[in-house]
Amino acid sequence: MLKKIALCLSFALGMLFSLYADSAAQNAQVLVEASFNYMRGKTSTATVEMVIHRPEWERVVTIKAWTKGEQDSIFWITAPPKDKGNGTLKRGREMWLYNPKVNRVIKIPPSMMAQAWMGSDFSNDDLSKTDSLLHDYSHTVIGTETHEGKTVYLIQSIPKPDAPVIWGMQKLKIREDSIFLQQDFYDEDHELVKALTTSQIQMLGGRLLPRVWKMQKADVQGEYTLLKYREITFDQPLSDNLFSLSSLKRPKR
Amino acid sequence: MYLQLGWRNIWRNPRRTVVILTAVVIGVWCMITLGALMRGMVDQMIRNGIATLTGHIQVHSRGYRHDPVIEHSIVDPQPLEHALKEILPAGARWSLRVRVSAVASNARHSGGVVLVGIDPAAEAAVSFIGDAIAQGRYLKAEDKNGIIIGNALADEFETGLGRKLVIMSQGSDREIASRAFRIIGIFRAELEATEKQFVFVTGGATQQMLKLKKGISEVSILLPDHQKADEVTAALQDTLPSEDYEINTWKELLPLLTAYLAISENFLYLWFLVVFIAMGFGVVNTTLMAVFERMREFGLLKALGMKPRWIVREVLTESCLLLILGMAIGNIFGLLTSFALSGGGIDLSALAAGMEYFGAPRIIYPVISGKDLVMANAVVFILGLLVSCYPALKAARFTPVEALAQT
Amino acid sequence: MSIDFKIAWRNIWRNPRRSVLTISAIAFACVLLVFMLSWQLGSYDSMINFATRIHTGHLQVQAEGYNDKQDIRLTVPDPNRVAGVLESSPGVRTYSFRAKAFSLASSKERTYGILVIGIEPEREAQVSTIKDLIRRGNYLSQDDTNEALIGELLAKNLRVDLGDEVVLLGQGRDGAIAATVIRVKGIYSSGQDDFDRSSLQMPLKVFQEVYNMGASVHEVVALVNSLEGLEEVKKAITEGIKKLDRENRLVTLDWMELMPGLIQGIQMDLVSGLIFYFILIVVVAFSILNTFLMSVLERTREFGVLMAIGTTPWRLTRLLLLESTTMAVLGIIIGIIAGGIITWYFQVHGIFISGASELMRQYGIPERMWPKLSLLSLSIGPGAVLIITLLTALYPALKVRRLRPVEAMSAV
Repeated sequence: MLKKIALCLSFALGMLFSLYADSAAQNAQVLVEASFNYMRGKTSTATVEMVIHRPEWERVVTIKAWTKGEQDSIFWITAPPKDKGNGTLKRGREMWLYNPKVNRVIKIPPSMMAQAWMGSDFSNDDLSKTDSLLHDYSHTVIGTETHEGKTVYLIQSIPKPDAPVIWGMQKLKIREDSIFLQQDFYDEDHELVKALTTSQIQMLGGRLLPRVWKMQKADVQGEYTLLKYREITFDQPLSDNLFSLSSLKRPKR
Repeated sequence: MYLQLGWRNIWRNPRRTVVILTAVVIGVWCMITLGALMRGMVDQMIRNGIATLTGHIQVHSRGYRHDPVIEHSIVDPQPLEHALKEILPAGARWSLRVRVSAVASNARHSGGVVLVGIDPAAEAAVSFIGDAIAQGRYLKAEDKNGIIIGNALADEFETGLGRKLVIMSQGSDREIASRAFRIIGIFRAELEATEKQFVFVTGGATQQMLKLKKGISEVSILLPDHQKADEVTAALQDTLPSEDYEINTWKELLPLLTAYLAISENFLYLWFLVVFIAMGFGVVNTTLMAVFERMREFGLLKALGMKPRWIVREVLTESCLLLILGMAIGNIFGLLTSFALSGGGIDLSALAAGMEYFGAPRIIYPVISGKDLVMANAVVFILGLLVSCYPALKAARFTPVEALAQT
Repeated sequence: MSIDFKIAWRNIWRNPRRSVLTISAIAFACVLLVFMLSWQLGSYDSMINFATRIHTGHLQVQAEGYNDKQDIRLTVPDPNRVAGVLESSPGVRTYSFRAKAFSLASSKERTYGILVIGIEPEREAQVSTIKDLIRRGNYLSQDDTNEALIGELLAKNLRVDLGDEVVLLGQGRDGAIAATVIRVKGIYSSGQDDFDRSSLQMPLKVFQEVYNMGASVHEVVALVNSLEGLEEVKKAITEGIKKLDRENRLVTLDWMELMPGLIQGIQMDLVSGLIFYFILIVVVAFSILNTFLMSVLERTREFGVLMAIGTTPWRLTRLLLLESTTMAVLGIIIGIIAGGIITWYFQVHGIFISGASELMRQYGIPERMWPKLSLLSLSIGPGAVLIITLLTALYPALKVRRLRPVEAMSAV
């Protein structure tokens, strides 16, 4: 009899835990989606300064970028003058580059997807798979900490078994107000490969956003890429035509 | 009679005979052993070439060989398979493959590879991969996400069994196709280049990833007898429409190896000749000495009415015996050496980078080929008799008077 | 001594037929070894020259680390000063500048990642064989701007032909985007698939402009007058460069460092060649051992008499050794002369290897091969033959010392 009760109890407890685990996973998924949508909006228009820093040199590029939904984006370089008008279009998983000097659009072949995008610490892949975090991973909240008086969720993201992602694990820090603080990329041994961190949270385009994003590889010192938002506006209606090959050849503003 | 006489004669001066025998034995021994090693190396290079996905015959969609891209696939292999079943001789095996260039990447590395989608059972009977697995296991038909990679690639990518590898290529819709695989096996190959080049997954997984439906890139055929390759190829060419298919034998697919085969064979025979000439000087000299020593004897025989022809025959019988004895011992030594070496082979791993440069295998196993054996012995025997004609004729021309006048 | 020599000389010609055969055997071995070794060494020279003249040159001056990383930022900033050093080094035949960058090459239909190489058309034609490898179209000229040469397989892959446009998109030295359109002026084929599949050559000046290189380059490629003097030239250049550049950021690399696979391949071939030569020499040694042995045994009686009248065994040994040495030396001299003449003939006319052109090309060997006579190839083989022959002669010569005069005289 006692045995039976114990059995029932443990069964019930098990149910409870699995339910709890489920909801934790759901919570984490919700947190990640909310943050993604918050940071990206339905559409966004931004001016970003990209700083590629190396020990002996530094390069600053200004980029004007439009995004729509989870997958589509288009951006052009506006400065320095030499690179002005170079564009990148991303639609789905595909990417195209446009160069005004030769007036050609080039589709990036699969073999070049792992290469650095414009010499930065972002790879073409990083850009083409922005939404991969939403669909290819299972997220779990593994802890909390506080940042500027707000709760920060520490989330462990493990790729789903068949997902075509190269990372063994990602760790995210998302603040309760959906602000994205950190994204760490790990290999399959769970060793850090590179990290994206944000800072200078302030009002931008009507919402609180980190102004500076920094991508840095774990094993090299003194090399990183900064993205600094100069301005951003959200949720302006953008036509689908904007994200097309023909529009890539006509840099906006 | 001649034999007996000859046999006794050659042992009249055992020391001299032993020395010249040694020369013949060493010559024949080296011819056979080095011939076997060289043959072993070339054979293995060809076998490697054929096993490294070439097969005896390959069928492609026209244009694939010049431009191996997914657009040049055989869209529906069914009529082709029908034709194969009808035409190929019993015992022939074939394997349908998808073969495209792709990019493999993990968290830290990324590089170009050739993605080969196979039917595991059929492929194992045709190419090297079936028994090349060094760690883990071979593919099974139901492995949807398993991948087999080469040892060198695993080292380069700092990865191993159970790890993930993301493969990216261009699908038949020209969109980027990518898929995650898990390493279930690591193969070893003769050449590091092969280990770095190929990764294997199931055909189904590849077709799904590349949206190929039933399409394939190539068919590799292994015949029970590789000599029939030309014949079977001609038969296939007659049946299959030539505007759709390209059919080639391994000789056309591996032109370098074919050329190498021809060169090394010529080189071997040239080498036989050179060694023979070195040996031939000794044979002539020894026989000549033996003849001059017996000048009196020959003179006497002649005086007693022996015909010059018989003297020639007598001397030739002697060198014949000498040669046969030397060849027999040399052959035995050569065969024994080759046999002893065939267990472990000659490991040239120390020179691996050099071997790799020439595309040669790391371990050489001697191969005794009947052709080489016959050739080596024929060279020694025929040329040996030929050069012995000189002392023989010399002996036959001794006049009794002149011979008897000698001390 | 001179009497001993006279005796030895007469003894040799007592049985001219045998001696001629022995000398011929020795001479034959020498001819063969001289020729084979010259050919082998000559073929290495051809291989090295062929491979280095497509890819690396004999020597290169680069920024430290460039050979490993091929980073576009690791440049030789002032190549003309390096050129000054090269010009003042007497062993340097010629030199040329190159710059390289990985880029996307794109035609209307296809895009591939390739290596773009900037060359100085006129000087490059002297340093590399690229000009002769053009199968269709023309080589670059000094004032070409947007023209380029591309590999045959790349042309096939991109589906472009002469006159078609190819877009290059990469990254300049300063990180800026580098892009240009080139027109295919020539298509080359080196027979080395990797190279023909993934390289494109354009004028250096245009390259420097497109990739924002300023006046800098990545490689200063030099050829030396002779490969034998390579080591010294390298040392001299290293010294000269050190003076130019106090921080020691530039390094001088020779072809062995630039292409380690080639030198290992050569070593392997040399080792297997030596095995063949060794066997040949052993067979020759046994062939002539008999002659030496016989000339002793035959003359047992004679030696008995000589000993009986007071000749010391030591003198007999010396006499016999003198005989064999004289024969060996004669054979070797004839062998070296004949071998030298034959080799020289082929060195002038070349040996055409038919039916193997594809193989030869793959391994970087031209279809026609030239053996190369050198002091080394003339001396090594005959030297080995001399040593082996003398060792062979030692046995009968020492044997004679064990003769007892009385027994010897009673021998037949």
